[in-house]
Amino acid sequence: MKQYVVGIESTAHTFSASVVTSSGDILSNSKNVYSPPEGSGIHPLAAAQSHMKAAGQVLERSFSEAGVDASEVAAVAYSMGPGLGPCLRVGAVAARTLASLLQAPLVPVNHAVGHIELGCLVTRAEDPVVLLVSGGHTMVIAHSGTRWRVLGETLDLTLGQLLDQFGRHAGLSSPCGRNVEKAASESSTYLRLPYSVKGNDVSFSGLLTMAKGMLDSGRKFSDVCYSIQETAFAMVSEVCDRALAFTGKREVLVVGGVAANRRLGQMLEVMASRHSARALLTPTEYSGDCGAQIAWTGSLAYACGASVAVSEAGVRQSWRLDTVDTPWRR
Amino acid sequence: MTLSTPPGGDSGTGRLLWRGAEADIVADEWQGLEAVFKIRRRLEYRLSVLDDAIRLQRTVHEAQMIHAAREAGIPVPGLYYVDPGEATIVMERVAGQRVKDFVGRASPDDLGSLFHRIGADVAGMHAANITHGDLTTANMIRREGRVVYVDFGLSTHSTRVEDRAVDLRLAKETVLGAHSERSDAALKALTEGYESEAGAQCARAVMAQLRSIERRGRYARVV
Repeated sequence: MKQYVVGIESTAHTFSASVVTSSGDILSNSKNVYSPPEGSGIHPLAAAQSHMKAAGQVLERSFSEAGVDASEVAAVAYSMGPGLGPCLRVGAVAARTLASLLQAPLVPVNHAVGHIELGCLVTRAEDPVVLLVSGGHTMVIAHSGTRWRVLGETLDLTLGQLLDQFGRHAGLSSPCGRNVEKAASESSTYLRLPYSVKGNDVSFSGLLTMAKGMLDSGRKFSDVCYSIQETAFAMVSEVCDRALAFTGKREVLVVGGVAANRRLGQMLEVMASRHSARALLTPTEYSGDCGAQIAWTGSLAYACGASVAVSEAGVRQSWRLDTVDTPWRR
Repeated sequence: MTLSTPPGGDSGTGRLLWRGAEADIVADEWQGLEAVFKIRRRLEYRLSVLDDAIRLQRTVHEAQMIHAAREAGIPVPGLYYVDPGEATIVMERVAGQRVKDFVGRASPDDLGSLFHRIGADVAGMHAANITHGDLTTANMIRREGRVVYVDFGLSTHSTRVEDRAVDLRLAKETVLGAHSERSDAALKALTEGYESEAGAQCARAVMAQLRSIERRGRYARVV
């Protein structure tokens, strides 16, 4: 018999719901994305309000697209964290309500683990080095023992923040990744920016400061975008390069919102070929925040007996993925 | 001056020992000595203007740092020859086993004394104002009861407690990440070894900074 799990995602700008089967078919993945005014970032309360308005509709759509009646659901999964408090709470309220209504078990999911597990599902990655790049994360990860372990990460800004904060400085509205990529594709003039790899960790704050300064001093927007991408993407590629060399793994999987950037994907493909490894790029629909990452990971966790009482189902704004046990990976 | 073939050796006929992330390690003879050639190959994913600058800078810098570590009494490979134009360093071949490969099979006692030794050596580097920058167990080779440290490509001259803590943090991270099943004893010995060489006061400052860095990590339990 097919077992359906519904997953609710609401860590930042995206409210999304998805229905998956226990064998990994993604039946629906509806979303509503809050977009802040030009030049500013996500305001947590405004995003949460947008989520509240959208929640009912998004959930309804996820069931109707899946062709599954809510009463058929075996478990309700939700992203417990990490993320923005007000946004997380909307998802948690929706999940608790739905679970109470359906008398279904409630399964908490770590958002970052969700990105990785969904990436593995849709790209058929088996044992990858994972590059998780988004507005909330920049980490290089591999599975070892009972958990996903962080091999390297940013010491300050995430890659998504770098692109967003630079884009907003230029007057764009968040998320800016796509516009920065488009502008970068129109240039081939490289301006030297700080390249900061410390061990397996990276730092982008100096790069951002200098890039903003370049723009202020009259450099062309497209040239600065190009230079940011070439420098920052080479930095994360170098860390993945090191992680492949160190772990001897044969796959590098890219997940998170910035995985949509084609130049990053291209660099990682070239990098992976040096190790005779495969670069697995998560398709855009599933690389950014979405309900499917929560539904699928919730389904994996539920099959191993994970669930939480409604009264305990809060949110965790700070929740590192390397503290989460992964009993489904044995 | 750029020499494609360093005098006394022929890097073209050497045996590739290891393809690292940023360099090939090739075994070959150099002036009759057993040597390794560390050759920073072009990384095609990086723009060549950026890549050339990084490879040249890292090659020269690494040679200077290996020399500085040797002067400070830290076991490092002897330097034979440096060719900045080819981004190549020729150095002594260290015969031994990587700590990374040894950890899984070592007895608890051996593991304890090994990481105690490593902790003390790292404290020694730090006392000489050298931070290694890449203290993974793949960059440590066991030879005759000592540990020889290789790959100074990311090392820096620094007196900052922060940099020392970052150095130790990477060592800790790789122990946790790659050798998770035996990490507790190894980390304890590492800390004790560091203390034994650096002195309690200095070690306390570095460890406190290490904890502060870990709290800075994204989504560490701060909220």
